[in-house]
Amino acid sequence: MLWLCILLPRHDRAALHNLALWALQWSSQVSPCMPADEDADGARAMALLWLEIGASRQLFGGATALRAHIATGLMALGYEARLGIAPTPQGAALLARAGHDEPVPSLSALRVRLQPLPLTLLALTPAQHDALRSTGLETIGELLAFPAAALARRFGPETSAYLQRLCGERPEPLRMLQSPPTFSSRCEFSGALTDTTALLFPLQRLLAGLQGYLRSLDRAVQRYTLRLEHRGHAATCVQIGMARPTRAAAQLLTLARERLAALTLVAPVQALGLQAQEFLQPLVLQMDCFAPGIQHSEQLQTVIDRLVARLGNAAVQTLRIAADHRPERAWSALAAQPEYSATTTPVTAALPAAGARPGVAELPSLRPCWLLPQPRDIDRPEQLLAGPERIESGWWDGADIARDYYLARGTAGAHWWVYRDLRSGAWHLHGLWA
Amino acid sequence: MSHAVTLDQESCEAGGDDDRYLASLHDIRFGKAAIAIAPRLVPLLGKHEERAAVLARLGEACQSVRGDGQIGNHDDSQVRAAVQPTEFAELDALLPGGGWPVGAITELMPEAAGIGEISLVLPALAAIGRAGRSIAWIAPPFLPYPPALVRHGIALEKMLWVQVRDARTALWATEQALRCPAIGAVLAWPEGVDDRRLRRLQLAAESGGSCGLLYRPQVCAREHSPAALRLLLRAAATGLHIDIHKARGGRTHAVVVHPAAAA
Repeated sequence: MLWLCILLPRHDRAALHNLALWALQWSSQVSPCMPADEDADGARAMALLWLEIGASRQLFGGATALRAHIATGLMALGYEARLGIAPTPQGAALLARAGHDEPVPSLSALRVRLQPLPLTLLALTPAQHDALRSTGLETIGELLAFPAAALARRFGPETSAYLQRLCGERPEPLRMLQSPPTFSSRCEFSGALTDTTALLFPLQRLLAGLQGYLRSLDRAVQRYTLRLEHRGHAATCVQIGMARPTRAAAQLLTLARERLAALTLVAPVQALGLQAQEFLQPLVLQMDCFAPGIQHSEQLQTVIDRLVARLGNAAVQTLRIAADHRPERAWSALAAQPEYSATTTPVTAALPAAGARPGVAELPSLRPCWLLPQPRDIDRPEQLLAGPERIESGWWDGADIARDYYLARGTAGAHWWVYRDLRSGAWHLHGLWA
Repeated sequence: MSHAVTLDQESCEAGGDDDRYLASLHDIRFGKAAIAIAPRLVPLLGKHEERAAVLARLGEACQSVRGDGQIGNHDDSQVRAAVQPTEFAELDALLPGGGWPVGAITELMPEAAGIGEISLVLPALAAIGRAGRSIAWIAPPFLPYPPALVRHGIALEKMLWVQVRDARTALWATEQALRCPAIGAVLAWPEGVDDRRLRRLQLAAESGGSCGLLYRPQVCAREHSPAALRLLLRAAATGLHIDIHKARGGRTHAVVVHPAAAA
């Protein structure tokens, strides 16, 4: 388990709920937590959102990359949040409070990281903090040096239990957000809004929640309802429909902006709600996108993004020719999503980087369409149809080969690309003329 | 190659009755054309109701060309299914429309691996790449070997090689790729698919306007399938023997072609 904690200053319950729905796109285990009493200051006035990212981080290119995705998303929505990543929820929250946003992957590393931090970062009540202060201890390391029984006796069982949850010796009771069957999110304004353009910023946040929720379900919407609540008036409901199902928040916002601009408000708006009930298969083809040149690459990027999000960056690649005479090294693969390529190891890590792409004229003789990832041991084929083509190469890097390649007849009339290792004399199947 | 289709007011209003309009929609639908809107329609599009109406009209008309990839409301002589020529003249002559069905699923059922089952589709893949669309290989059983593909005129930069963990994910990835209009052909090796699953893939291919090329074992020929075209492949003395097991809008046949694979 690895937990990412998002620490948000002063948020109402509705906003935290919306953000939790947004976070479902990164993890199926999301737990929002409001501070117990709203008026306390310091650490306890912060709203918390926990995401279990141990299961999903690989899909997003590792914990650091995932943290960057989430931080960027929060910033785009105008949230000032702090993040922490640790193997325990309390650990992640404490690191977020401390401003340590580097992921701490293990319990032992967490203990080391906690050692020098001040006791004031612990999520305890003012009374519990007072009790700690009276001892003269300063760092969390000093406190953790005490045996658990002594801590419980001296500071009470609650403090002791909290420290055990912090260090992963006791499980954290978390209430997980259950992905709701329909989407409903709301946001209240401290002052009533009289202009519909002022609704766009809160709407953008609500739509981000909808987008995250839809991504988590791999669904799209074709219509949704905006509910503008007024004081002393019935709420105004605005239905927004699209030509095709989508979940692109930007597109949803564009359509809403048009509708809101044409709307005359009957009264100032006290709160804005967003509801969506029908969820459909997402369609990449967007009928109302009229830029033909950009369209193809955007559509391709969309599908690559989706594949990468589910399968990981190393699973979606393009292929290249590499300038090497050894058949197993005459190619290389490159992540199709270039922005992540720095953080992933290609499947073909053992292969040299692709050199300048040789023209067809420079290619060696004919090659089969299929190459076996590992040559397979076979008996000497009964029927050799063509060959040999001698390939001797690679003396400079120790992976040198000396082989005679033949075209051979395989089972069911298949054509095999086989070779005889000139040193061992053994035969191997290396490709298929598919 | 891509060309722009202009939808003007008359053709929009004429709707399904106008040949040129239907042909335009057909081209748009199968990715051969980009949509352009006549300048005098632009102010109309600015108002959302009209815009919605035009889009709805477009949507309706597209419905009528969807279905089995053929334009409705025309007598048989005018029915055209979108195809991608296989570039083997003897095969194109036998296939309805003269090529691989576009916006549909084709099943290729080779007797064994290595008989020319990939070379058979390479000329079409090369043409799709030249037309600017990509080709997705979803979890192929072996490495599609770049030095060979380049020799067959495949643009490697147009190729996506997708590796998956399990058969279910492979199906999901296949469906995603089929749905994407920027991808002109999807090669996949589905396992454990039933009629319902295949129908989903068929719908995805329709929506993306791509050639879905599914490689399946020959035993699958006994099962029912919604695929537009089903071919049984086996090695001939020279070349590749093709049994047209099923061809929507055509007849069953057999033919031998000579892919350049083992030449």
